Amino acid sequence: MTYMTPKFVFSPAEQAVLKEKLFTLLEQKGVRMDHAAVVEILAGAGANVDGATKMVRFPRKLLEDLIGKIPKQVLLAARDPRFDLEIPRADGGFYVRTGTGAPGFLDPEDGEYHRTRIRDVATWAKLVGSLDHINFCAFPSPVDVPGKTADIHALREMLTYCPKHIWIQPYSGESIPYLFQLAELAAGGAAELGKRPLVSFITCSLTPLDYKYMDLEVIVQACRRGVPIHACSLPSAGGTAPVTMAGTVLLAAAEVMVLLAVAQAIQPGTPGIATPLIFSMDMLTGRSLQSSTEAIQGAAAAVNFIKTSFDIPVHTYGYGADSPDIDGQAQSERSLLSLMVALAGSDILGGAGQVEVATAISPLQLIVDNDLAGMVQQLRAGLSLSDETLAWNDLLNLQPGGHFLNNDHTLMHCRSAFKGRTFVRQSRETWLKKGQVDFLAKAKDIYDEIMAGEHAGLISQEVGQEMAGLVQTADRQLGV
Amino acid sequence: MSILNELAKSIEEGKLQEIKEQVSHALAEGLSAEEILEKGLMQGMDVVGKRFAAEDMFIPEVMLSARTMHEALLVLRPLLEQGDQNVKMKGKVLLGTVEGDIHDIGKSLVEMMFVANGFEVVDIGENISPQAFVDAIKEHKPDVVGLSALLTTTMPAMARTVEAISAAGLRDDGRLKVIVGGAPVTEEFAREINADYYGENALDGVEVVKQALAG
Ligand code: B1M
Repeated sequence: MTYMTPKFVFSPAEQAVLKEKLFTLLEQKGVRMDHAAVVEILAGAGANVDGATKMVRFPRKLLEDLIGKIPKQVLLAARDPRFDLEIPRADGGFYVRTGTGAPGFLDPEDGEYHRTRIRDVATWAKLVGSLDHINFCAFPSPVDVPGKTADIHALREMLTYCPKHIWIQPYSGESIPYLFQLAELAAGGAAELGKRPLVSFITCSLTPLDYKYMDLEVIVQACRRGVPIHACSLPSAGGTAPVTMAGTVLLAAAEVMVLLAVAQAIQPGTPGIATPLIFSMDMLTGRSLQSSTEAIQGAAAAVNFIKTSFDIPVHTYGYGADSPDIDGQAQSERSLLSLMVALAGSDILGGAGQVEVATAISPLQLIVDNDLAGMVQQLRAGLSLSDETLAWNDLLNLQPGGHFLNNDHTLMHCRSAFKGRTFVRQSRETWLKKGQVDFLAKAKDIYDEIMAGEHAGLISQEVGQEMAGLVQTADRQLGV
Repeated sequence: MSILNELAKSIEEGKLQEIKEQVSHALAEGLSAEEILEKGLMQGMDVVGKRFAAEDMFIPEVMLSARTMHEALLVLRPLLEQGDQNVKMKGKVLLGTVEGDIHDIGKSLVEMMFVANGFEVVDIGENISPQAFVDAIKEHKPDVVGLSALLTTTMPAMARTVEAISAAGLRDDGRLKVIVGGAPVTEEFAREINADYYGENALDGVEVVKQALAG
C-alpha cells in the first residue's frame, strides 16, 4: 500500500490554476478604490482606471512587475534588538503575534469577563515581553479612553511597556498620523523608524474587491516612512466571499496581492507581508467563525498558495477560538489551527491569546498559547537524523534488554525535550493529592509571577512627556 | 392540501418561480388578498422563522423564502393597498450602520430576517451620520429604525444618533421605535442611550419588534 501525502493544501497543479485565475480576476474584473491619489498613481503605472466607478483593473504584466518588487525579506524590529524578527526565520519556523482589537478581556485577577481597559493594554504588553514564544504584540481595544483616540492611547501604552515589535491596527483614518508620530517618538525620529521599524501597520480590503480610504492611506503613509505593512483580507466564506473555501482563498489572495502591489507602485521595496485572515460564516446562525474546519483549511491553503506562488512572507491566524471562553473547545481549536498553518508554511501565526472570534483576549490563554507555540515550532521542524540523534554508537553496543537511563547520550540530551510549563502530566492519584491543579491554574501562577516582576517603562521621561502631549493633542484635534 | 396550505408550503420551500402564479390562482379562486397574506403566506413565514430559530433552516434557505415572499407581494400589495386597511404589512423598518462604522454583514442578516417576517425594509447603508438618519426617517416614515454598530469606538455615534432622532421630534408621538444591535452593544447600553429595544441577534431583533408592534 502506498502512503499518500496528506492533501491539506493545494497541489502544485492546482496552485498554477489558482494563480492564473488570480491574474484574470484582477485584469478583467478589477477592484474598487476610494482614494484618488492612489488611483492616480496606479493609473500612472499603467492600470486601467474608470474614474466614475473608481474601478481599477491590473494588466497582467503590470501586476507581475509590481509583485516582483515585493521584498522577500522583512525586518520587524523591536525596542530591544534581541527581539528583532527577521522574516523568513532562518530555521524555517514561524513567529507568533498576539490577538488584535479585542474589546473583551477575560481577567485573571478576578476571573471575570469585562470590557478591555487601558491598564489591560499595559498588562498585555508586559506579558508579551516575558513570554519566549510570543514574538510580537498587537493591542486590544480599550473602552475607558475616548473612542476616537482609543488606538492612539493603546499604542502609547504598548510603546511604553512592550520591548517587542508592535503591530498597529488603526481605528480611523484620522488617527493614522498620530500613530506614526508616536512610533517616531519611540524610535527617535522618522529616519530611525525607517531603519529599524519598531512597528508595522495593518491595512485591509473590504471584501469583496473594495478598498476604503483609511486602508489605502495607511499604505501611503507607511511607504513614505519605510514601515512594513501586513496586507490583510478578511473574507467570510458564504457571507462576503464564496461559500466554497477554494473561492474564498482565491478572493483573499487576490485582494492581498492588490494591497501589496499598491505599496510597490507608491514606493518600490516597501516591506509587506501577505495576511489572509480567513473566516467562514456559520450558515445556521450567521456568526463569523475563525476556527471552523473550513476556516482552518482556508487559512492553511491561502498562506501556502501565496508563499509558494509568489515567494513572499505570509501571515495568518494561528491561534484563536470560536468558543467564547478558555475552555477545552478553545484549546482544540487553536491546536488544530496552529499546527495546520505552521505546516502550511506561515511565517507568522497571529491571534495568540484570543477567543470568541477575535472579540476577547485572555492573559491565561496567551500563556498557554506560548507553550503551544513552542510545541508546534518543534513539531513543524520535524526530527533530525544523524548518528547522534540515532544514538548509533549506543545501538551498536546495545545488549538485548536493559535500558538507556545510564547512558552518557541520554544524560546529554535529557533536557532537550519540549516542556510546556502549563501542561499537567501527573497520574490521577498525584494530581488529586496535589490539589487538582489544571493547566489554567498553572497559567495563573505564571501570570502572577510575570506581573510581580519588574516592568519599568521603556520610554525616557522626556519622550514620555512628548508622547503624553501628542495624545492630548489628538484628543483635542479629533474632537474628544 | 388547501390553497392556503400550499401557499404556506411554497414560502417555506422557496418556490420563487411558481409563487406569483399560485397567488394569482388563489385570487382567481375567490380568496381575498388579506386571507392569502395572513392565512397563507405569513403562516409559511412563521414556520420559516421557527425552523431558523431551531437551527433547522440555513440562512440562504431563509433568504430564498424571503425572496419568494417578496415576489408574492408584488402581486398582492396593490390589492392590499386598495383594501379596507385592516391588513397591512407588518411595518416599515429603516436600517443603517452608524457613523464611522462600515461593518455591514450583521445588518444584512437583520434585514433578511425583517423581510422574511413580512416587514418592508429600507437599508440606508453604512457609516450613516445622525443627521442622515434623521433625514431618512423624515423621507421614509418608518415604524421602526434599526441601528447597528460593530465597534466599541462607534457606540458613541449610536448614542448620538438616538439623541438626534429624539431632538428632531421624531419620537414625540411615541410611534417611531428605535432598536439597536451589534456585537459590542448590550441591553444595558440600549437602555442607557434611550433606545426602545435591543436585538441580540437578527432573529431576536425581529421578534422584539414584532412583539412590540403587536402590543
Ligand atoms: C437594528 O437591530 C439590530 C439587531 C441585531 C444586530 C444588529 C442590529 N446589528 C448586528 N446585530 C446582531 O445580529 C447579527 C446577526 O445575528 C450580528 O451581527 P455581527 O455583525 O455581530 O455578526 C456578523 C453576522 C458577523 N461578523 C462580522 O461580520 C464581523 C467580523 C469581524 C472579524 C470583522 C470584519 C469581518 C471586518 N472588519 Co472589523 N471585524 C471585527 C469582527 C470580529 C467579530 N468576530 O465580530 C471587529 C468588529 N472589527 C474590529 C476593528 C477594530 C476593525 N474592523 C474593521 C474592518 C473590518 C473589515 C472591513 C475587514 C471586515 C468588515 C466586512 C464587512 N463587510 O462588514 C476596521 C473598522 C472599519 C470601520 N470604520 O468600520 C477596524 C478598525 C480594523 C481596521 N483597521 O481595518 C474589531 C472591533 C474592536 C472594537 N473596538 O470594538 C473587531 C472585534 C475585530 C478585532 N478584533 O479587531 C449581531 O451582532
